[in-house]
Amino acid sequence: MLTIKNLGYWYDRQENSLFENVNLEFEQGQSYAIVGQSGSGKTTFLSLIAGLDKPRAGEISFNGKGINSIGLTKYRQYNVSIVFQSYNLLTYMSPLNNLLTAMAVTQSSHKGDKKYAQEMLRKLGLTDEQMTKNVQRLSGGQQQRVAIARTMCCDAKLVVADEPTGNLDEENTQDVIQLFQKIAHEQNRCVIIVTHEPDVAAACDHSYRLAHHVFTAEK
Amino acid sequence: MNFFKRAWLNLVAKKGRTVLLILVTSAIMLFVLAGLLIRNAADAATSNAKKSIGATLTLSANREAAFKKMRQGTASSTKTKPSLSMTPVKLADVKKIAKLNNVASYNLTSTTSVNAKSFDAISTSSTSSQSVMQGGGDAPGGDKMTSSQGDIAVSGVSATSLTSNFTDNNYKITKGRGIKASDANTNNIIIETELAKQESLKVGDTVTVKATSGSKTYKLTIVGIYKAPSTSTSSQMGPGATDPSNTIYSSYTLANTIKGTKYANTADSVTFTVSDPAKVSSVKKAGKKLINTSKYSLSANDASYQSVKASMNNVKSFADKIVWLVAIAGTIILALIVILMIRERRYEIGVLLSMGESRMKIIGQFFVEMFIVLVIAVGVAGIGGKFVGNKLGEQLVAQETSSTASNVNSQRPGSTGGQAGPGGSAPSGQAGRSGGASFMGSSKTDKTELDVQVTPTNLAELGGFGLAIIFISITLASGGILRLSPRKVLID
Repeated sequence: MLTIKNLGYWYDRQENSLFENVNLEFEQGQSYAIVGQSGSGKTTFLSLIAGLDKPRAGEISFNGKGINSIGLTKYRQYNVSIVFQSYNLLTYMSPLNNLLTAMAVTQSSHKGDKKYAQEMLRKLGLTDEQMTKNVQRLSGGQQQRVAIARTMCCDAKLVVADEPTGNLDEENTQDVIQLFQKIAHEQNRCVIIVTHEPDVAAACDHSYRLAHHVFTAEK
Repeated sequence: MNFFKRAWLNLVAKKGRTVLLILVTSAIMLFVLAGLLIRNAADAATSNAKKSIGATLTLSANREAAFKKMRQGTASSTKTKPSLSMTPVKLADVKKIAKLNNVASYNLTSTTSVNAKSFDAISTSSTSSQSVMQGGGDAPGGDKMTSSQGDIAVSGVSATSLTSNFTDNNYKITKGRGIKASDANTNNIIIETELAKQESLKVGDTVTVKATSGSKTYKLTIVGIYKAPSTSTSSQMGPGATDPSNTIYSSYTLANTIKGTKYANTADSVTFTVSDPAKVSSVKKAGKKLINTSKYSLSANDASYQSVKASMNNVKSFADKIVWLVAIAGTIILALIVILMIRERRYEIGVLLSMGESRMKIIGQFFVEMFIVLVIAVGVAGIGGKFVGNKLGEQLVAQETSSTASNVNSQRPGSTGGQAGPGGSAPSGQAGRSGGASFMGSSKTDKTELDVQVTPTNLAELGGFGLAIIFISITLASGGILRLSPRKVLID
């Protein structure tokens, strides 16, 4: 589904590249972990495959089409859903409105379906009361669940997550890992998680380590 | 959920910021509205001034040409004493001008003097009457005086109701009636109240006067008594015919009859009232084509209108400056606020961009937010605008009117001189044309007021200004959004 060919990225000089000539393939219905030390370039890699930035070299194709030719905005709108470590919810809204906004922006097939959004939030353990109060009044774990529910409400086949369990305790971490597995296997989506936590990587179907500018398959 | 609803949710969620935005926008809108109201009120005041103040054209003998002719005669013959030959205005010419567009009415003026016979004129103890009487007919009303001066001034008019002294309420009919057009070819007169008291004259009485040259007498019927101002200027209080109490008003035909047969169907001067003061120039131009300009002059008396117009133009110009200055300052202030707001909301923008929201829709959301704020601000300004506009307008008009009135008076030295003309025509009000205009101007300019009213049109105009301000502000502030990279906001 997602094909990466000769991908390279650097900030100022090519000699100082974070990675070069990366060739990877990501399939639908599978979960992938990208692990590596801090500063190795994991998040940069994620931002490239999420269409948040443009690569310096190489090409990223989604279902055979270069994402640049799709247009990064359209690519993000219809094909990718992103979960961030800091949740990145719209803070002036309730969880329910966050989901409805995402569904509207991404032109989800469930766009405007309030009941569907409520059902998703209930599935992820939020009460009806929590759904309608300001999102900032929820705990970190609850906010991350809202962020994941937001992903589940959208039709994007590619889900990328940047350290989704970084701010969560162990119990919440396990819940989130399970949720991502469900998204990959039950909703038949491709889930790519950037993490430095071995538990998260172990739970994924595949794992790649980024070290010394090179991706190495670990699993 | 579209960006309209997002905008609404944002405004509701960030109440403090929303209230602040409403206050700032309301303040800007309030001053823009005040400027717009003053400008519109100044327009309306100028328009009203056209209707209420009016303007006149005066047709009289061309003194400049007469003097030139006199000088030429002096040069060719040194033996004869030079004399100024003035041609009275012919009624035929008057009627031609009266037919022009925008000429509402006209007043014929013919002045002369007679000696009281059956009664005594009010006498003064001054011994310098002769010198004053022969001082030269500076006023148009006085230029037809015969060489020998009587003690009663006869001011012949078409109707006293068309004479500025009466229209300005300086002179008032206290008994009987004024002179009307129907008094033409009659010996009806009105006399001053002091003269009536001294001689125990009343309406319906008959008095006899004698021509200043020859022995011809005239029996005159009193149809009304008028009161001249008790506080006349020193020049008005001159001896003999120059004393306002010794002035009798009659039809111009009577004055012409007294002056002699060659004055039949003529007038010393004619004042045409122009219905639209803005058209004075065009009427004057058209009128000049109908007269012999070497004999007659046609002069415009629209000083009052011009002074009000100048005053209102100054107010309008100041109001325009207020509108533009506030609009520009408002745009800058709002742009800075929106820029700061956008900087504060970089995170939110990043989240929306990461979801694939278009930049234009994000800008649209800010525009909708500001539009909602603007609608409330226009409402607030609508409530307070009239008050601010009134206060500001009053201040401006007070300054402008006083300065204009003082300018008009200082520029019109003939304001009293005209009335003090030795021709004894002081009460006619037509005597000094500049004086008459000034008098009218100073009295009416002072009354000029701005009627500041908030109308739906004003609010629509204000809304238009507000929309332009927020559009420019958001466009200026949006540069940041267009350049913003979601990765920089959300990841870096």
